Amino acid sequence: MRHQANPWITSNLWLLSAAMLPAIILVGALLFFTGWAITFSFTDLGLTGRKAVEWSWVGLENYERLFTRKGFLESLWTTVIFVFFSAIVGQSVLGFLLAATLRGTVSTTRSVVEVCIMLGWLLPDIVAAFLWSATTSQTGLINSLFVVPFGLKPINFINDFALPVVTLANIWKGTAWSYLLFVAALDSVPREIIEAAKIDGATRWQRAWLVVLPIIRPHIATNLLFITIWTFTYFPLIFAMTGGGPGRQTETLALFLYNQSFARGNLGFGSAISVAMLLIVGALSTVYLRMLREPK
Amino acid sequence: MERTTLSRPMAIALAFMAVIWVSPFAWLFSNAFDTAATGRLVWPQNFGIDNFTGAIGGDAGRMFLNSLLIAAGTATISVVVGAAAAYPLSRLRMPGKNALLWTLVLLRMLPSVGVLVPLYFAAQRSGLLNQFGVMLALSCLNLPFTLLLLKNFFDTVPIELEEAAYVDGASLWQIVTGIVLPMSRAGLAVVWFFSFTGAWNEFLLPLIFSRVEAAFPMSVGLYGAFGRMGAIDYGFLAAFSIIYAAPAVGVYFLLRRNMNTGFAGVGVKG
Repeated sequence: MRHQANPWITSNLWLLSAAMLPAIILVGALLFFTGWAITFSFTDLGLTGRKAVEWSWVGLENYERLFTRKGFLESLWTTVIFVFFSAIVGQSVLGFLLAATLRGTVSTTRSVVEVCIMLGWLLPDIVAAFLWSATTSQTGLINSLFVVPFGLKPINFINDFALPVVTLANIWKGTAWSYLLFVAALDSVPREIIEAAKIDGATRWQRAWLVVLPIIRPHIATNLLFITIWTFTYFPLIFAMTGGGPGRQTETLALFLYNQSFARGNLGFGSAISVAMLLIVGALSTVYLRMLREPK
Repeated sequence: MERTTLSRPMAIALAFMAVIWVSPFAWLFSNAFDTAATGRLVWPQNFGIDNFTGAIGGDAGRMFLNSLLIAAGTATISVVVGAAAAYPLSRLRMPGKNALLWTLVLLRMLPSVGVLVPLYFAAQRSGLLNQFGVMLALSCLNLPFTLLLLKNFFDTVPIELEEAAYVDGASLWQIVTGIVLPMSRAGLAVVWFFSFTGAWNEFLLPLIFSRVEAAFPMSVGLYGAFGRMGAIDYGFLAAFSIIYAAPAVGVYFLLRRNMNTGFAGVGVKG
């Protein structure tokens, strides 16, 4: 903390305030847009046509539609499955296992695996989508390596197993983040504590479960917070691979929002979806932040 | 934890994972260098770089420039606006500063799809459904993160140096350009490249903001090309994908050490 006023700062207050102005405007715009989304959700604003100009207030009608019409609840369920299996089970658990396993290994093995999973993470979303569409297509890698050699007919994975395929693609793409975070977390566990537990006769399993995990709990919470929110609102990969289909099998909330707002042109209803998403994200953040703050 | 050698099943499992992770890339390269690529994993039949020359000329070349413009523009706006505000934020004691920082942390979590409709609406009304609109919108969404990161970097510049310069008669401008900015060069670079790759990879905003094909960046172009029905030109798309992915991947390995510092500083408050 600085207790003394610094003369080169205090004599230039106006200049500094002016320098902050653009940032304040942009951050203000962001807040304003959030407020706007809430306002729109009470109207029947359209993308094109008459309702784009002569919109009117419809009260809570959009929110009623969320729960009474088909679509929203189904999408929510798809999203929950997608987030649970790709982010929490896939990326987080796999990332942790990798971080724990690779700690003890020679550095070459470690860097090879690291570079492999980093490449997936660094790749632009659309390239990943293209790669996985091509890999799982009827003439693609998986069919020609694992299906056709066994005398089976090629399977159109993206059609028959759409949700598992996008889930897998997302695990492939996103594990690196969890991995890096857990590597940092495991490095922060003091060696002495583990040694002490070992001397006291704790098994490998007990050391992991009772010693290491409680220490890195804040990291776990941080990781879950970030990957849940990202995956919950993740759009490009699924959109480019399936567009939400076949039918609505992979239409997560982000895609539902996009389709309603920009394909169907219901900006009002789309805003209600985005408000619902913001509320869910907010609720999830609160839960994780509490997990982060709770005394050990 | 003790340094152990891997047990055999563990080693096999790791090798298997590495193969799974890498095989799509092997596929990508074998197709990109095969001028008669069919989308199968085979050693290139007609080895050649025609796919690459095809992927940098014509429409594809213009998309590359569009992506470059959007990414560089977003990164520059983010850094300039962010740095101008982060320095006062770091040095000034003002009322409500903590509230402001918390707002930024919360806004950082805000998903862009949550404000998608208002963003589109605002851009439409102000005639910004173009590349400049994309840059502005992305900078806007980036800014909370940029501000927090840059403030952290400026916090680490020792104020004694600034005091000394002031005593020697330096003006605010000289202090900032002569001491603060050079000393946080690494931080500025990290923020610039972070924003650059973020904008380079961005798909959703350009998708709804680009009204004409001439304005498409590579992400939208690639999506359009493989989403289209009919025969897929795997060779061309693979080469296009490699060119599109190269800057994002390259920047990371170039800045690896700095990135990890930024990552640890902002990601985790353990």
